[in-house]
Amino acid sequence: MSRSNYIFFKRPIALFILAMTLILSGGISANKGLEIAKLSDKNNDGYGDSSSSMTMQLINRKGDVVERKLAFKRLEVPEDGDKSIAVFESPRDVKGVAILSYAHKVESDDQWLYLPALKRVKRIASKNKSGPFLGSEFSFEDFSFQEVEKYEYTFIGEEVCKDLMCFVIERRPLDPYSGYTKQLVWIDKENYLVQKIYHYDRKSFHLKTQTFEDYRLYKDSYWQPHMVKMINHQNGKSSILMFEDVKLNTGFTDKDFSQNSLRRSR
Amino acid sequence: MTVWRILTITAFFSTVLPSEVIGEYSIDNRYFFNEATQGQDKSHTSFTLSPELFIEEGERIIHIKPKFRKDNKDSKRNLFDIQELYLLEIFEDKEIKFGISKEFWGVTETTHRVDIINQTDTSESFDGEDKLGQPMIKFSYERDWGLLDIYTLIGFRERTFAGQDGRLRFVVITDTDNPLYISSAKNKRVDFAIRWSNYYDNFEVALSHFSGTTREPRYIASEKKLNKLSPLYEVIDQSGLEMQYFFGSLALKGEFISRSGQGDRFTAATYGFEYTQVGILDTRLDLGWIIEANHDDRLVSSPTVLGTRLTLNDISDTQILSGLTYNERSEEIGFLLEATRRLGNCCLVSIEGVYFDDINEDNGERKIFQSFKEDDFLRIEFIYYFGE
Repeated sequence: MSRSNYIFFKRPIALFILAMTLILSGGISANKGLEIAKLSDKNNDGYGDSSSSMTMQLINRKGDVVERKLAFKRLEVPEDGDKSIAVFESPRDVKGVAILSYAHKVESDDQWLYLPALKRVKRIASKNKSGPFLGSEFSFEDFSFQEVEKYEYTFIGEEVCKDLMCFVIERRPLDPYSGYTKQLVWIDKENYLVQKIYHYDRKSFHLKTQTFEDYRLYKDSYWQPHMVKMINHQNGKSSILMFEDVKLNTGFTDKDFSQNSLRRSR
Repeated sequence: MTVWRILTITAFFSTVLPSEVIGEYSIDNRYFFNEATQGQDKSHTSFTLSPELFIEEGERIIHIKPKFRKDNKDSKRNLFDIQELYLLEIFEDKEIKFGISKEFWGVTETTHRVDIINQTDTSESFDGEDKLGQPMIKFSYERDWGLLDIYTLIGFRERTFAGQDGRLRFVVITDTDNPLYISSAKNKRVDFAIRWSNYYDNFEVALSHFSGTTREPRYIASEKKLNKLSPLYEVIDQSGLEMQYFFGSLALKGEFISRSGQGDRFTAATYGFEYTQVGILDTRLDLGWIIEANHDDRLVSSPTVLGTRLTLNDISDTQILSGLTYNERSEEIGFLLEATRRLGNCCLVSIEGVYFDDINEDNGERKIFQSFKEDDFLRIEFIYYFGE
């Protein structure tokens, strides 16, 4: 949560407004869940544009580890979802493969894949979001921007998570193509950061647990977790995503996320 | 002995080249099950080396990528080609590319009707997806109304063909030493092309036009060599239309061309759909389906292709492709099965089997696979990637 918001909420008047909102909502758990999700989502706002390098470790049941590397760029788009481009650096056979995504708040995202060997840009049916990403335990869906408008919320309660106090909310994806029936989300009460997500598969079975670690604050308003872990309880495998060299305000514009920019990646 | 030679060459390249250079080295062996019609060998091996340098500095990109191929049986399959050697300058909504490059146009998966900028390296592979670098100056504008690419294509690249000792070729050999041109500029003619593309939510569309030397020659009896065919490169005008529409996981696709300059004006098309089932049978496997039909005014009938793509979504990115081509009129089939898998972080292995069958040999129809009927083969390719 942003520092300015933090100060804002310290003000008694602001607290009063918040309290009134909660009271007026009649303590309806759906609204409270949505309010928390909205406050949490604010942590993703105001980064402008960013670049980072991502390392993904895939760990099998025996503990063997393989690594994947990607360069990742994002651009915040006011009033809509974000634009992003991910370029693969390793393994070598997919070096230069790139994915351009235009996320949208409600409608499904637009995605294009660039295959450097053929110099071909191919539009991807973004409905195919429940499949694994690069052989990892993350699905495409776990990677896309989780806009508040794409879920329905219920407030469950409060609980200790690690050394923090967390809200627990349940969210149900509105998209019928989602691989999940529901998710339980732990959001800490101090900064409204997502700390943990339980993912439930189409049979409502607890499939995966995702944890977010090493949050760092940028520009006094934007929180970026530097490590995200995903454990798959059904196959015993796990994946770890690490962010390095996170840079904000690198001066990207629309042209860095254009159709041509995708063809330029190699 | 060959293995040692490969290791020596690879070691040589990895020491001489600057550290920014990456690339791939591959060994490809094709084994043909049947005796060839003209005594060619059953086993053919080729080696390919393709180093690559990609320099990105601010708004400027320099890309260099030569390709060398050596075949142990067919000298016509040897190749030295510059795939990429260009300078790209980037402006706010424009780009200018100077040099040699590859550019792909199109949306369909099995046949590429609209794609015309680059010449096809048919000696490399069966699917026609391998291309030769084309010298060009390309201007590209990207605005709200879409992407507009304007090409000046400087000079012409001849199509490659398997030679006397090669397989997967016509019974009559193509005389690549004596190509014929309609244009007096021969292979020095400057050609032009333009393409506009845009997307509207789930609909993508592109219109293109090419005016220049055809990439797809016709063949006439060679005047210089007996029993050989000379490729005839005429000057054509070709207009193209590409469309695709997405309904959830279903993509409808079509490519249509109209070409003049090679006899009567004709139209040709490839159209069909692609559908992907994610997580089949409650596993992490994806299964993609492709059905594409063809039409070509020049032919009495065109084949239909059914393809599948099974993606295992494992650590090795294992993928199994299958393709079944069926020509209803001639009652011929072609079947392809290809499995690809990564090995460690350095390498990739691919195994491909291709089978041709003529269900009814005596139906009196013109056969499309006639030349390849003894060319069923199994191919194993091993690719080693060097550099970081």
